[in-house]
Amino acid sequence: MSTTAVLHSEWIKIRSLRGSFGSLLAVFAATLAVTVLAFATIGQAEAEDSEDLLLGAFYALNFGQIAALAFGATAVSCEFLNGALRVSLSAVPRRGLFYAAKIAVVGGCAFVVGTLTTFAAFLAGQAFMGSYALGLGDPGAVRACFGGGVYLALMALFAAGLTAVLRSAVAVLSILVPFLLIVSFVIGDVAGSAADFLPDRAGQQVLRQHAVGSLGPWAGLAVTALWTAAAVLAGWWAVRRRDA
Amino acid sequence: MTSIDVQDLTKEYGTTRAVDRLTFSVGPGRVTGFLGPNGAGKSTTMRLALGLDRPTSGTALIGGRPYATYGEPLRVVGALLDPQAAHGARTAHAHLAALAAGNRIPRRRVDEVLEQTGIAAVARRRVKTFSLGMRQRLGIAAALLGDPEVVMLDEPSNGLDPEGIIWIRELMRDLARAGRTVLVSSHLMNETATFADHLVVLGRGRLLADTPMPDFIAAHTARRAHVRTTDPGRLRAALTRAGHQVAVADDGRCTVDGATAAEVGALAAADGIPVLELADEQASLEQAYLALTANEAEFAATPLQEARP
Repeated sequence: MSTTAVLHSEWIKIRSLRGSFGSLLAVFAATLAVTVLAFATIGQAEAEDSEDLLLGAFYALNFGQIAALAFGATAVSCEFLNGALRVSLSAVPRRGLFYAAKIAVVGGCAFVVGTLTTFAAFLAGQAFMGSYALGLGDPGAVRACFGGGVYLALMALFAAGLTAVLRSAVAVLSILVPFLLIVSFVIGDVAGSAADFLPDRAGQQVLRQHAVGSLGPWAGLAVTALWTAAAVLAGWWAVRRRDA
Repeated sequence: MTSIDVQDLTKEYGTTRAVDRLTFSVGPGRVTGFLGPNGAGKSTTMRLALGLDRPTSGTALIGGRPYATYGEPLRVVGALLDPQAAHGARTAHAHLAALAAGNRIPRRRVDEVLEQTGIAAVARRRVKTFSLGMRQRLGIAAALLGDPEVVMLDEPSNGLDPEGIIWIRELMRDLARAGRTVLVSSHLMNETATFADHLVVLGRGRLLADTPMPDFIAAHTARRAHVRTTDPGRLRAALTRAGHQVAVADDGRCTVDGATAAEVGALAAADGIPVLELADEQASLEQAYLALTANEAEFAATPLQEARP
């Protein structure tokens, strides 16, 4: 069975589903819109007492990552509606190939769009920052843009893996979104604790000019990658084991 | 030639045995009707043959191999399991295009099957706007996409209008005439009788019959002939002498149990009794099926217990 053929099939599935494709575009659109709005209005005022200007440049990623989660979840959940998985698995009965192709396409799309998003948001936001502006030449800027794209891809895959386990985008999003919006904000300020190892907190280290807490930029991203790997493997186990 | 071979197949869900040591084969060149009451295990057997569920024991092979070992299975087997399976937010065209891409089926086949199933005009509309009949046609289009040797359809005429039912019947017969293996499940007897050459009948997961349809009807219905004569009295006497049960209606029509028209005709001719009409009773598949499955219907109505005062 041809891997490229199965990848092509998965790409058609994502492209043809308005919910998934819309979420993917929303990663870019929401991040850029919030960046322009925020930086054009309060950007320079906030910069005066900012602890990390580089992290501040990616403020809008808080919104973009919700779209990335929605993309990962809906791209997988469409297989669990009615008998859709049966149709998919009768076309591609090798479940490992089917799941790997889906994960690869979700991850690939999220990485490409995510990296475009972080570079575009960084450049657009800094255009409003006047004397506080950072450029791609500043220390850590390119690393943060590239790492931010990886981070968005990992968040999309985290949601995708969990959706394969729970078989519902609604369930996954109603766990992850409140978790990111509330739990992480509340306990996240206690730096240097176990909270540093939460998937979003750890991964966002790569966006900082100066790492805080126990993890460096790449180590933080690696911790997020481990969370994602665990979710993706759990999803693989569920897809492989269960009757369709 | 590609056949479906089910060998000693068993599937248990918890403590329920959905399929119980089932053995049969479905051969090419004919339409095999797959009959049984709801819950008899028809859909489960199809899912097992497609490698979607894991059997508890036994095997279901297609062309001698497990389904999952085919590199591009849609080119060998086409299946319609559930007309609701296509995602409502996709267009019919995109649904088929994704399936075709994964099996390297040329893109022109998508347009061909859309045309063949009569939904080309709505191909760019989203599936959630489709009626059940249109979804059923889309499911059949997906089954035909890879021009497969084996076609498995689960209740294909559900939701189709009368024209659609005639169309699907002709389609199945054409596929069989072209030498393909066609397995069609149904719980509608009169309809199955119009297209099936062979029957596999299940009850509670077990095989009840695996025979050509005419043999099945003959085996499970009593023979009976209807005759009209100008002289019912003499005919009755002649038939009774020959050991047949005869019922005479007011208008002189006689019903002869356990006899064929040929036997009745011979007896009447021997006695010189004029016969106006003579025919074998056309036993229906439904009668034969009900006679067979009377004891097997899992959800057969049981008489209500009398209420205690």
